[in-house]
Amino acid sequence: MTNKTMRRCLAAGAAVTMGALAACSGGTPEPGESGNASEGSTTAEIAFWDPYPQHTEGSAWDEHVKSCAPDGSTIVRTSAPQTDLFNQLTTAVKEGGAPDVVLLDNPMMPEAVGAEMLATAEQAGIDTTGVDENLIGPGVVDGTAYGVPFGSNALGLYYNVDLLAEAGVDPASITDWDSLTAAMEQVAADGGKGITFSGVTGEEGVFQFLPWFWGAGADLSDITSDEAVAAGQLLSDWIGEGLAPRSAATDNQSAAWDLFLTGEYAFAENGSWFASAAAEADFEVGVIPIPAKDGGVAPVPTGGEFAVAPIQTEDASDHYANASAVIACLTEGEAAFQTNETLGYLSAKPEVRADQADQSPLWEPWVSAVEGAQGRTTELGSEYVDVSASLSGAIQAAINAEGDQAAVEAAFQDAGGF
Amino acid sequence: MTTLTTRTAAPTTQERATSKPRRHGARWAAVAFVAPLVIYLLLFYAYPLAQNLSMSLHRFDRGTFINGGAPFVGTEIYQDVVEHPRFWTIVRQTTVFTAASLVFQYLIGLALAVFFHRGGFRLAAPLRAMFLVPWLLPIIVSGTTWQWMMNPDDGILNSFIGLFGADPVWWLSADNALMSVAIANIWLGIPFNLVILYSGLQGIPKELYEAASMDGATPWQQFWRITLPMLRPVSLITLLLGLVYTLKVVDIIWIMTLGTGTSQTLATWAYGMSVGKGASAIIRYSEASAVGTILLLAALAFGLIYIAAQRKQED
Repeated sequence: MTNKTMRRCLAAGAAVTMGALAACSGGTPEPGESGNASEGSTTAEIAFWDPYPQHTEGSAWDEHVKSCAPDGSTIVRTSAPQTDLFNQLTTAVKEGGAPDVVLLDNPMMPEAVGAEMLATAEQAGIDTTGVDENLIGPGVVDGTAYGVPFGSNALGLYYNVDLLAEAGVDPASITDWDSLTAAMEQVAADGGKGITFSGVTGEEGVFQFLPWFWGAGADLSDITSDEAVAAGQLLSDWIGEGLAPRSAATDNQSAAWDLFLTGEYAFAENGSWFASAAAEADFEVGVIPIPAKDGGVAPVPTGGEFAVAPIQTEDASDHYANASAVIACLTEGEAAFQTNETLGYLSAKPEVRADQADQSPLWEPWVSAVEGAQGRTTELGSEYVDVSASLSGAIQAAINAEGDQAAVEAAFQDAGGF
Repeated sequence: MTTLTTRTAAPTTQERATSKPRRHGARWAAVAFVAPLVIYLLLFYAYPLAQNLSMSLHRFDRGTFINGGAPFVGTEIYQDVVEHPRFWTIVRQTTVFTAASLVFQYLIGLALAVFFHRGGFRLAAPLRAMFLVPWLLPIIVSGTTWQWMMNPDDGILNSFIGLFGADPVWWLSADNALMSVAIANIWLGIPFNLVILYSGLQGIPKELYEAASMDGATPWQQFWRITLPMLRPVSLITLLLGLVYTLKVVDIIWIMTLGTGTSQTLATWAYGMSVGKGASAIIRYSEASAVGTILLLAALAFGLIYIAAQRKQED
């Protein structure tokens, strides 16, 4: 070890963890350092974890995953909700029995990397070429990629075509917050209701809030700014004026979608994963991008999972070979198209995405949203989770304030803590 | 319970140790009989408790949880927790939730038990069975149902109070959440109180009431002078069990509000931190363990008060 690396290592070690220091020692490699997909061979059983319990055994997704088993292997698929999956993975890595492949929600990536849970993409033989930069952003830590996003979803503004027509609102006229709120008021004057969204506590509510937050010009590095307050005020006013349901404080995105499906609401802020469900609704549903405060399209947060290979302590190379084979199958060639269509995602690769848009008009309004999306953790890295928690508290308080300006302002200025 | 069992086991071995050498065989047999229980207690009670305590004295995060090396920080985590700006608020909310739940569960349970015990009402048996429903339903079902009934926009509760001209209530708003989850929890706890108090009533000799009525005691006097004093032991254990249960309630609150607003209690706080759910996705192993230990101590304190009260009664 040269003096220069030594100094760098000491600095990194002091700044980060004991683990980083040990990794620099050069002697015996850390467990996570050993193993490479190219030195291993696939095994008879491949463990695959994903956060889609709604896709049960025998569903299209289940079959699609299992069809990606290399010759002589079978895939054993396990599903659990996002947070539970992440916690189970934490325990599994600790006990040395992690699965071969995991689909991990993108904002969890920095924390997973920080906790030394993931093999690098290079080690696990995961090809990251051809993936859009904004989508792979959350999975790149200090210049190293730890997995690959296969697709992305995005948020948009669904609208009830009939309600808008009856109230005489032209969806094309909705280009900023004022025109959006005016459209809602017009529908409300006609006996309808305004908008459904999810303000539920936790990451889901924050995910839904970010388009307004960013659309106001706010920045995650300062959630107490006037722009942030303006975004909170927007939602708060909707609740206060009865344009949005009070239950937004506890509704998750599915509950908010169900409310929109009642046909009483003019708009729904929701994800592209409902695009095919929207086509089957009892009324005609259109989509427009979420407007920014003073006009233009608001950036939305990238949604979707990364395909990753957890760190292995035993037979690491074989596990990584498994990951390499399965992830390549899911993200390359013809199957990449199928992977995204089955989940209702748009591919992370532009040419596959173009194919999807060509084959189904459903996707057309979503392409630009995905392409303009921002990674939630790209700017802050592992600090994002803390900021998100504070933001979540502020959103809850803003909804509860029902339009009260002083309370909304206080909510954002006092945000913080666990 | 743990301390009681080990305490009785300990003197037994001591007695055997001082007895004559020819009883060696019997001593080993005794050890063999006690061993499974002791191993069970150590493995499933002592070990997790020790782990919990140790976790609250080391600063864990996801990385150190996996790779080891969490630094020992003494009572620093307890200080962090107690100095947390919302700690005392949460303690107060926990107290209100627990006290309100206990008082109303007990009073309503007792009233129903007395009503059914007096008999002479044809539908008593099926009605009593119906009151057990909250107990039989999975909490995910009752919690979701309460959330749905308390929907602020078109919930059935608001429609109901609307019949009397009342304004709709935002039941699960930050300010009202504590009241709402307490209402649901009271409903949930009534059957437990009803069943235990009812069986307590059945244990009171009928002769007492007969003698009392011959002496001209009114039903009201009978209740205060006979029923309540005779029910005291049963009431005490009902309240203690209810308290221990209510202190650690997470499910009903979590399903209804995710512990937001005033409905945050020590138990939901610890749960949210231990799994990275609720507002923050960060797992706080150490803080959660510390809050868990505080809850344990609180339950233990009330357990000791109960034992003291029981002793006093026996004297």
